[in-house]
Amino acid sequence: MNLKSFLRHRMTEASLTLIFILGFLALVATSQGVLLSEESLQSFFTYLAIPILIGMAQMVVLAVGQMNLAVGAMGGVSSAVMAVLMADHKFPIWAGLLVGFLSALAMGAINGALVVVTQLNGFIITLGTMTILLGFQYRLVRTFTIDQYPTSLSDFGTKSIGPVPYILLISLAVSVLLSLYFTRTGSGRRVLATGGNPLAARLSGISNARSVFIAHTLSGALVGAASIITIASLSGINRSIGGDWMLSSFAAPIIGGVLMAGGTIAVYGTVIAAGVIRLVDIARAQYSLDPSIVSFTVGVVVLSTVALSEWRRRGSERQHVGRKVSA
Amino acid sequence: MKLTRKITSILSDQRVVLSIITLALFLFFGLKNKAFFSADFVLFPLLRDAATITVVGLAQLCALSIGHLNLAVGRMAAVSAMATGYSYQYLGFSLPLGVLVGLITGALLGALTGWIVVKSQVNAFIVTLAMDFALLGFVTFIYVTFTPAAAFTTKPAGMDFWRNTSLAQYCIAGVCGPKIFPMMIFPMIVALLLVGFMYGKTRLGRELLLTGSNLRAAKLSGIPVDRRVITAHIFSGTLAGLAGVMLGFTNGSFSAAIGSEFMLPSFLGPVLGGTLLTGGSVAVFGTMMGTLLTLVIRQGLSVQGIGLETLNIALGLVLLLALSLGQIQKMFTSIRSRGRT
Amino acid sequence: MTTELLIEQVSKAFPGVQALNNVNLTLTGGTVHALLGENGAGKSTLIKIITGVYRADSGALKANGQEHFFESPIEATRAGIAVVHQERNLIPDFSVEENITLHNPPLKYGIVDRSERTRLAKQALSTIGFDIDPKERVKNLSVAQMQLVEIAKALVTKAQIILLDEPTASITNTETVKLFEIIKLLSSQGTAILFVSHKLEEVYQICDTVTVLRDGESVLESKPLADYKQDEIVDLMVGRHLADRKIRIRDIDRTGQPAMELKDVRTALGHETISMSLYPGEVLGMYGLVGAGRSELARSILGLYAITQGEILLSGKEVKIKNMGDALHRHRIGYVTENRKEEGLFLDFSVGQNISSTILARILDKLGVINRDKEAEIATKFVDRLGIKIVDNHQLAETLSGGNQQKVSVAKWLAAETNILIIDEPTVGVDVRTKAAFHELIMELADEGLSIILISSDLPEVIAISDRIMVMNDYAVVGELENTKDYPSISRSIMALIHSA
Repeated sequence: MNLKSFLRHRMTEASLTLIFILGFLALVATSQGVLLSEESLQSFFTYLAIPILIGMAQMVVLAVGQMNLAVGAMGGVSSAVMAVLMADHKFPIWAGLLVGFLSALAMGAINGALVVVTQLNGFIITLGTMTILLGFQYRLVRTFTIDQYPTSLSDFGTKSIGPVPYILLISLAVSVLLSLYFTRTGSGRRVLATGGNPLAARLSGISNARSVFIAHTLSGALVGAASIITIASLSGINRSIGGDWMLSSFAAPIIGGVLMAGGTIAVYGTVIAAGVIRLVDIARAQYSLDPSIVSFTVGVVVLSTVALSEWRRRGSERQHVGRKVSA
Repeated sequence: MKLTRKITSILSDQRVVLSIITLALFLFFGLKNKAFFSADFVLFPLLRDAATITVVGLAQLCALSIGHLNLAVGRMAAVSAMATGYSYQYLGFSLPLGVLVGLITGALLGALTGWIVVKSQVNAFIVTLAMDFALLGFVTFIYVTFTPAAAFTTKPAGMDFWRNTSLAQYCIAGVCGPKIFPMMIFPMIVALLLVGFMYGKTRLGRELLLTGSNLRAAKLSGIPVDRRVITAHIFSGTLAGLAGVMLGFTNGSFSAAIGSEFMLPSFLGPVLGGTLLTGGSVAVFGTMMGTLLTLVIRQGLSVQGIGLETLNIALGLVLLLALSLGQIQKMFTSIRSRGRT
Repeated sequence: MTTELLIEQVSKAFPGVQALNNVNLTLTGGTVHALLGENGAGKSTLIKIITGVYRADSGALKANGQEHFFESPIEATRAGIAVVHQERNLIPDFSVEENITLHNPPLKYGIVDRSERTRLAKQALSTIGFDIDPKERVKNLSVAQMQLVEIAKALVTKAQIILLDEPTASITNTETVKLFEIIKLLSSQGTAILFVSHKLEEVYQICDTVTVLRDGESVLESKPLADYKQDEIVDLMVGRHLADRKIRIRDIDRTGQPAMELKDVRTALGHETISMSLYPGEVLGMYGLVGAGRSELARSILGLYAITQGEILLSGKEVKIKNMGDALHRHRIGYVTENRKEEGLFLDFSVGQNISSTILARILDKLGVINRDKEAEIATKFVDRLGIKIVDNHQLAETLSGGNQQKVSVAKWLAAETNILIIDEPTVGVDVRTKAAFHELIMELADEGLSIILISSDLPEVIAISDRIMVMNDYAVVGELENTKDYPSISRSIMALIHSA
């Protein structure tokens, strides 16, 4: 593939990368280099790990043309499960994390099963499960903050190689695996085929129901991974965990070039978009602006990216309607 | 034979079923615990909340009628309430003038949303989601920057009357209104009547529903679909604004928290009432019944001393169950009608 | 062993219509078999039964010795049957090679074996002599290229039986020549090919045997094509009912002002200097092959796409039509769409509400309230006039049969009482009796003074009801004929116009 066609396919990702680099350099320059200190870099990367994973969790359901409103609630419940098991029931770390992870996986699977069985819109199904899960989350943590779990876990959260924390490496590794799953494995390709053209997929012997189920289950697994990182990077778990995940889970993949209609994924785009959002956050702190500015900016950016990509798509589609000039 | 068919047809009306379930649950909770029938502590606040939430439901219903969603109902309510609160605190507006400011703000937000949807052709889900993001930032910023207590607290004359007065204070020939009905139900009734009238009787309502049923066919039938999409969002924004102002009145102050709990109930009411998510069919009265049902469950459980967590679980289950039932019913009717032709 | 597909006494009914009635067909390896029939004759239903999309109500299907109907498309594929659909059945974001191997991607431990995939795809592509980069994404291909990809896909599944559903509908002549070479090549290798097409010339070029369906019945069963002349085939397709029908030549006064006139119109979609005129009370047939730009011209006139040059005159006055609402309310032009389910009807609305959707402005009381009595009155009037079979006006449009649905979408526009009506493919998927009634209706409406543009790909239909025929090809008008309603001579002239272009 030559450079030109590479750029054509990867337009969004290339421009996001450019924005990220320029934005980063601008922040370095205006902070007189403070951002390059190991401490600043480490905090920059630490708070990048979770947005990447929850962005992925949304991306995999968007890939089949579905959505998952319950990402936040699923994350809240699974991290609460982990915390409660380790703090109150003295589970060893691995067992607590494993059960919590599996619970998230199961929640995803239930979402998938409900969507497939009832044939209802994923939006309304996950709205319902979200409500139920918020109830469970509250029941698990009440108004407390659970922090009586082994400190070795939060120690792990602060460990890093140079300025790059382990937990970011985990996020990136998961992203790479996910990318391989969607580009290389038969299962991943079938899921994408369902999103791209369900009718054609069915005629080629692909079970669309299975693809939808897999996508939701995978979403659950990614939320589980995000919960593990959450519990490792925070000093305690309370009922606010996951409360602000839903909006940002959509922001990263959509800015990164994933279509709501399904059939596309953009792992790198989602990662770099999460990076750009993180930069906005840093900029906000640097200029001591109110945190509300971040969500305002992200909202405006999401709107303009989708609008732009839609205009571009319509431009190219217009060439398809109308006369075909044959060579 | 005829009677049974009549009964089946009445029972297949979702509104009747909803009313029966709501009434049954109401009696059940009351018989289990007499405290549930307390006018002052349970029923009056329940109906006051129901009034606001029904209006939120109607705001969502307007978006659903054309097959769109409005995820920003809550935040539109917040911005409108903020505008109203600002006009009371800094401009010294009278009560009705302030309400008008709130409604106009909501209408403008809706118009902006609709305009973006039409111009960009982007899914309304994403547009309203992004709108929600943007407005959340905006509202918080304004309250934090311009108010000392993160709220507008000035109460115009007459606000307490709307908050606390019940129909019991109104007597005609010695017969007084029931104590459980708050004044707040009047804006709800007006909204219900207007929205119901529009969708049920008028050309505008029909055109909105036709647009929701089949956008391309509507366009080719000469209906100005772009304008109708914007109209639906304007109604949605205005009603969200009204709900925001109503909640501000109930709370006695205007803060950023207004509307943050609106999103889920906004869907519960219309969907339980029988409004389609795909557009083309609305249930205006059903929205009120759906809202009442959810609030009776909520209040009933909390009177039993059951906590917030179980309420959520119950509400989520009710939503999923109601939807699955609707789906099953649809499957049956389609089999029946296939058999007939 | 020669490949063989046998269809015996297959029947299939849908609500309100017997789509297939005891149909027989024998398809043998090494031959190209034409499946002919008018729109709605049952061709696509038969294909869907062969490929396991529909279940037949009765009859038998034998493929390679096994006797059973296929439960699902994938089962048909496993039995060596592949179909190249009219609709594009490819995944747009996937590469050519991946689409070709989609049925059965080469895997090693669940991982896609990319080099094997490329090899398989290249092999299939070279078999049909199609030179394309297997890594190219399908969304960047032309329609003809996509069709070739589908054929390559069929080869990879080792299909012994390939069904081609209108493969030349939207490709150019050069591409058709290329496609035919490939079909002959496959046939010489022993593949059985079922070729579905409207274009009889093409059928005579490439096919060996022929089956003709009419009104759901096989009126000619697997006979050598060489034994029949083109006229005989046409007679079999349309049946005696059309041939016997009274031919009515209508007198049109073309001395006055045309109801609509186009002068050198160019559109944003690529129409070149289109000029035409439509006189009051006239039926102007607009004939052309699929992709000739007829519906697109109609939609440009109605303001859905931009007119970039030239002028439109209505009764002599130049007008700018901004959108459909403008066309309907100000200029009194209606448009019955081709695609009634997607663009014509509101399926979850009642028949009455569908009919009133174009005339809401006329049935209002104060405050914009719809007058239900007037609405019902008008609905009943047109239900009666068109003979729509319904229980009452409140019946939902989705519960009607195809023919009745089409009548509702016409009723909607008749209710609007327009001066000009553009009717796009009115009888697709409608049974023969309803079709004849439609033809009568269209002429009656014209008798009453309505000016009608009839867009149709159904040549007998165009010839049966038009007063004049305008022939389009590749987004341009290639000729205009006074219609003598003499099928053999007119159809020849039309074909000559299309091919000389």
